[in-house]
Amino acid sequence: MSVKVESLKLEKKYHGAVEHWQKHNFKDYPVLLENWEKYFPTDEPFCLCAKLEVGTSDLVQIGEHKGEKKRDNPDQLTEEEAGHLLAIVRAQASTEFGSIQQHVGTLERAFDDQDRFWVLRVMAEELRHGYQMLHLLLSKDWSHVSGGATGEQMVEEILSMQTGNHVLDAFNLDYDSFIDNIAFAAIIDRVGKYQLTMQKICAYRPMADSMPPMLREEAFHLAAGVIPLRRWAKKAAEGDPFVTMTAIQHAINKWFPRGLEMFGDERGGDTNVRFGFKDLKNREAQDQYIEEVSRMIHDINSRYLRARFPDYAPDKAEQILAEIERTHGAHLGVRYEDLLRLPDRRFFRRKGEPAFTLIGIDGESFTEVEEYLRYLAKNLNEGYVASRDLRNYADVLRKVVAGTMSVKDGIMAMPKLKRVGGTCPCSKGVRWVMETPAETNGH
Amino acid sequence: MPDVQSGTRIRPLDELDIGSIVRIDESISGSYRAEFWEQRVGYYLRRDPGASQVAEVDGRVVGFMLGELRAGEFGLEEPSGWIERFGIDPDQRGRDLGKQMFEAMRRHFRSEGALTVRTLVDQRDAAVSGFLGALGFAPSPLQALEMKL
Repeated sequence: MSVKVESLKLEKKYHGAVEHWQKHNFKDYPVLLENWEKYFPTDEPFCLCAKLEVGTSDLVQIGEHKGEKKRDNPDQLTEEEAGHLLAIVRAQASTEFGSIQQHVGTLERAFDDQDRFWVLRVMAEELRHGYQMLHLLLSKDWSHVSGGATGEQMVEEILSMQTGNHVLDAFNLDYDSFIDNIAFAAIIDRVGKYQLTMQKICAYRPMADSMPPMLREEAFHLAAGVIPLRRWAKKAAEGDPFVTMTAIQHAINKWFPRGLEMFGDERGGDTNVRFGFKDLKNREAQDQYIEEVSRMIHDINSRYLRARFPDYAPDKAEQILAEIERTHGAHLGVRYEDLLRLPDRRFFRRKGEPAFTLIGIDGESFTEVEEYLRYLAKNLNEGYVASRDLRNYADVLRKVVAGTMSVKDGIMAMPKLKRVGGTCPCSKGVRWVMETPAETNGH
Repeated sequence: MPDVQSGTRIRPLDELDIGSIVRIDESISGSYRAEFWEQRVGYYLRRDPGASQVAEVDGRVVGFMLGELRAGEFGLEEPSGWIERFGIDPDQRGRDLGKQMFEAMRRHFRSEGALTVRTLVDQRDAAVSGFLGALGFAPSPLQALEMKL
């Protein structure tokens, strides 16, 4: 309905490529469209298109070019700036398509149809966001900084990625249950909100103008995570045998460290600010994110306590929550361990400043690597503990702690699933390979 | 997100405000309605996430005003802003927070192309009628009708 948005379609062959990708990776898309009116009555119909905000600022708002006119073409940026921005756009595109591949694995295990259709809508809007990034790649000429890759080749590369070879680690983890669908929306999509918000001021105008429509959709994605989590906390408080706060905590333990790493190394981000692409450095954005996740956890804990003690006034419930958190004690059968808690920012990290340190959820230090791995196994869900991702992490951690591998090499040594066949997802030509350090862009 | 006075901030609604809205509503109505507000906040964030506003005082949410831009209802083809639900913590009234939230919503609706803001009020509720009148709302030729079944 917004009058401030221009909608655009990709050239037919690229639009068709996205639709082809959808047929392989998002089979329930037609089911969503058929049921749109039932679950989202009178909402605007879904549009697989790029949307650009009209009437945004003409001027660069931060960095070396502050006050100058925003750039409309990549060749108006320096080569270094254009190359840097191209990497951001490709990474963003990878995350959008990647999250759909993750969601689809456990979508059918949703507790009810509302949760399922909320996630389906999130997936469709992620598809649109990926489409938006392809529009940025295809609508202008990036050939001088793409290493010779044409727009068509870049699109092929992005659409051929599978869970395991996406650019960011959070998009290379399989979901183990529907808890992952909603925890991902609440924790990882929240990082997405930060990235989009920071990029609203981007000195490259098409990127900046892409952000507001994406952000409006992202607001619902966060709700599609937090609201089901609140309902699950209520069910857990009421004694539902299939929903526990421990299961939610384990999902937080799985995703929160990966979310922190999506901001990039804590010591970096100056280049983005200097080039006028983002308005916060990595640590600044990460600090705000941590504060926000902390509020979310407090909110869910409050929901749990009110359901456990329905006769309590809100102030009394808040007072008890504060008391349990402060003393790590208990109140009428509710223990500190029964509530959610925010993991320490150094917990279970494999990138950034605290990569491969042995830090527990509450900030406690471990000296023995095997003891730390047993601790992780107790605090992550069983499906994830049995995963290849965790096994690879453990192998690298042992080497780093033993001193036979540097932290830097450890960061780069995490194996990825590389596609070695054709570009169509029909191809099954994938295998695990170790990338050499030179091939990666680890932090 | 303008700072309107020291310690006070008006900002768009987000999904982490549900608990505060439940608390404010409970302080006004005496009923704990978490499921209801989860559904409503989900609705507004889906429909028009920039429209609805909350008021913070010293970092604590003490007021909310929810609404959205709609068109095509009741023969009204042009987009209109709708103010549908609001509440202020009883301890925080008299600080103009309702007016400030309304002004933020009005700016949003105008920027989206709306020329009119609409709402419905129970005329017997003098407090709410008075508040809306003070904001500048006036009776509309479009009249609400009902029939008992």
